[in-house]
Amino acid sequence: MVFHCIFLVQKRALLCNRIYHLTIQLIFYKSGRSQVVSLDPPPMAWRTLDQCINNYLAIMKLRHYLCAWLLLLLTVPAHAVTTGFKQAPHIQVELVSQYQSVSPGQSFLVALHLLPQEHWHTYWLNPGDSGMPTSIQWQLPDGVEVSGIQWPTPEAFSIPPLMNYGFEGSTVLLSEVQVPADYSGTSLLLKANASWLVCEEICIPGDMTLELPLAVARQAVPSEPFQALIAQGKASQPVSLQRTASYQVQDGVFSAVIESKDDLLVDAFFVAATDLVEHARAQEISWQDGSLLLRQPQNTYFHQAPDQIEMVLISGSQSFVVQAQRMDAGSAATVTAEFGLGAFMLALLLAAGGGLILNLMPCVFPVLSLKAISLANNSGDSARQKRDAWSYTLGVLAMFALLALVLIGLRAAGAAVGWGFQLQNPWLVGGLAYLFFALGLSLSGLVQFGSRLMQLGSGLGQQQGAKGSFFTGVLAVIVASPCTAPFMGAALGYAVTQSAPVALLVFLALGFGMALPFLLLAYSRRMARLLPKPGAWMDTLKQWLAYPLYLTTVWLLWVLGRQAGVDAQALVLVGLVCLAAALWLFGRHQLGLGFRLAPQLSWALALLALLLLVVLQPQQGSQSSSTQAHWEPWSPARLAELTTEQQPVLVNMTADWCITCLVNERVALNTDSSRQALQDYGVTYLKGDWTLRDADISIYLQSYQRDGVPLYVLYWPGKEPLVLPQILTPNTLRDQLAQLAATSSDG
Amino acid sequence: MKLKQLISALALAGTVTAVAAAPQVGAPAPDFTVIDSHGQTHSLADFAGKNVILEWTNHDCPFVVKHYVSDNMQGLQQHFTEEETVWLTVISSKPGSQGHVSPEQANELTASRSANPSAVLLDEAGTMGRAYDARVTPHMYVIGGDGNLLYMGGIDSIPTANPEDIPKADAYLANAGNEVLAGQPVSNPVTRPYGCSIKY
Repeated sequence: MVFHCIFLVQKRALLCNRIYHLTIQLIFYKSGRSQVVSLDPPPMAWRTLDQCINNYLAIMKLRHYLCAWLLLLLTVPAHAVTTGFKQAPHIQVELVSQYQSVSPGQSFLVALHLLPQEHWHTYWLNPGDSGMPTSIQWQLPDGVEVSGIQWPTPEAFSIPPLMNYGFEGSTVLLSEVQVPADYSGTSLLLKANASWLVCEEICIPGDMTLELPLAVARQAVPSEPFQALIAQGKASQPVSLQRTASYQVQDGVFSAVIESKDDLLVDAFFVAATDLVEHARAQEISWQDGSLLLRQPQNTYFHQAPDQIEMVLISGSQSFVVQAQRMDAGSAATVTAEFGLGAFMLALLLAAGGGLILNLMPCVFPVLSLKAISLANNSGDSARQKRDAWSYTLGVLAMFALLALVLIGLRAAGAAVGWGFQLQNPWLVGGLAYLFFALGLSLSGLVQFGSRLMQLGSGLGQQQGAKGSFFTGVLAVIVASPCTAPFMGAALGYAVTQSAPVALLVFLALGFGMALPFLLLAYSRRMARLLPKPGAWMDTLKQWLAYPLYLTTVWLLWVLGRQAGVDAQALVLVGLVCLAAALWLFGRHQLGLGFRLAPQLSWALALLALLLLVVLQPQQGSQSSSTQAHWEPWSPARLAELTTEQQPVLVNMTADWCITCLVNERVALNTDSSRQALQDYGVTYLKGDWTLRDADISIYLQSYQRDGVPLYVLYWPGKEPLVLPQILTPNTLRDQLAQLAATSSDG
Repeated sequence: MKLKQLISALALAGTVTAVAAAPQVGAPAPDFTVIDSHGQTHSLADFAGKNVILEWTNHDCPFVVKHYVSDNMQGLQQHFTEEETVWLTVISSKPGSQGHVSPEQANELTASRSANPSAVLLDEAGTMGRAYDARVTPHMYVIGGDGNLLYMGGIDSIPTANPEDIPKADAYLANAGNEVLAGQPVSNPVTRPYGCSIKY
């Protein structure tokens, strides 16, 4: 056999006369197929360099037969930086370390280097319609950790009607190894069981166990000859982009929206999940108002949308990776959270604990102390004390049950109109900001809320008998409400996502926690003595508790700013100033200070604050008003009227939470060309908003066998209503109208 | 280069798949008329009233080999044909490509692997495969006695070529077939098929 070899030898070796530890890998070229033969110890290793060079020159004379690459290499015998290429059918595989000796506490990269035969490929994390991703099972010494594969940017391989994603040519799959700081061994054996599928048209699965022993030393030593390979591995990976991105799979379409202020030009994208997009179908990519919009039909075998997916974006010769969160369709899905017994017990416990803490609130504590004193006075009759304590508990529980029922009722009413107790409504958010700010000011001592109720509660609390105790309980809950909002908020947050009985139990636990000290007092005298005395510390505690409320207000304002824009936010801030002034005046009035008309002015300011909230115009609203000329709201009556008048009509059923709908509107409906087309053909554009699950729209959707949006229907006089595709292109509308106009004029 | 390849691939794919639409579970399964390895012609209508299982195959595909060396496929064929279900093995490889066989070779493969299909259909034009949007080998379908498609997808849940994974996997096809036999709705009617691409 004729072969031709090149030795690449490290400089150090070239200076030596003798080459001792030389491992030579020769690539024999025969009939176009490569094969690596590892000669270990190679016969030539014991020759002098001169002999070797002579040999090389002799072989060079036979050069017209074949050409060859390759390589290499020379190392310390015990520890290597590469396993060297191992041959498997149609592919060569090696494991390479970034460092030849590593130190404890260090992290370094290890490359699984795949070299498939020309025109053959291996697969990406998402292999596409067929194929299988390369995988590595590591066996490492105790404490040594390894990351998953850091995937390079894939290539698309089209085998109509299928599409695959993978890698041709030299492929470097990097993983990061972390050596623990207390690693005590003198060597580190990296053992990797790699398995892959290598395909041209046909596919061959392969697997191999590769072992790479590394030295462990105090000083880490990089493996110089392989820095280029590691760099190649890093360079082939997409660059991580920190962008807000969300995606949705709905009504047969995968859509993703990526915030992209700098107009990142994306030519193609890859989704790192197997069953989301129909890989072989065309991708649609567009840019609108600082967002990148990506769409592709949904995979036939779509099963489940993960919470988060990775997407690789190709932009010219560059590639980027972003994490996209799943965006839920509608609010209903988020309300039905999973019910877990553990979480439920914890919630009950927390609620009871929260209830207990409520007793320390300045609004409640005086009641508690009075009751404690009255109990201490009635030292003789322990049976009556117990009866009183249980009556009080019953009163508190009754009040909490009532609160829970009101909440459940509200939720049921809210769900009926599609309002899922979420902060979707800017007016609600603004109102909550007012509420929390006012409560904070009250805790800060600017004003006293419910002081009259509190007095009443104290008065009843001083009454004797079971009835008095029951009402003390009821009133304690009422007077406590200004202080309890932050604690109730957490319980509320959990309870609204649960079924009615669970929500009720959580509230009852809260109430039980609040009543607990009284029960303990009735059953144990000592407890009464342990009670701290009311005093100035209570006021200080109360004032400290104002700050979490102010922070909550800030958070709500931020939410509002995101929802409705900075103008609306400023309006609500002005409202907060009015509210502060109103409360200040009212507080002074409570103290008997201030001028005669102070209470009236205070009410006027509070009303002004509310008025400011009412006139709040979210930016979305102002946007829709600018397009008012272009569409009008859909109603069954309006549609019937127009169709009986033989007018062409376009119906668009949409919802704010439907990305596909919004994308279609931006790309295909709100464009100048489409507006012009609607005008040219005299089409009335009716838009139905299903964001809040309008019942009329649900019926309309059902009449077209749909249970979701988007739905686009074009009515042309004398024709059956035409349902447009769910993905609209910029020309869809104009083309369809032209076609309808042409066919009707023919007929 | 990568990009150009992708764009041309996408453009091509767009034109090709615009025609082929995947069949829908719950809707009538696409009809077919294909000759089997004994020269007999079969259509879906011939099996009215019987449950039908379709298995796309390519005897050299490692994912198919996985289910034949382990006797998993033969076991499924035997189980379902004993339960009066028609099992049709379909070969859609075009002449000259991997998996394409002559009628004699097909019968020989059936004998040598102790396979038990009701018939081996030779769909070398790929008409039946495209009608079903069959993508990989093995790609599995279950059709009810009323002619409606009840299951499409993978044979099981672990997409590897390693026979050792078969016992660990969820047996999607077996479960679907048994549910159909029991008259129950199929719990996982659409799963991701895995394997080698069909050589159309």
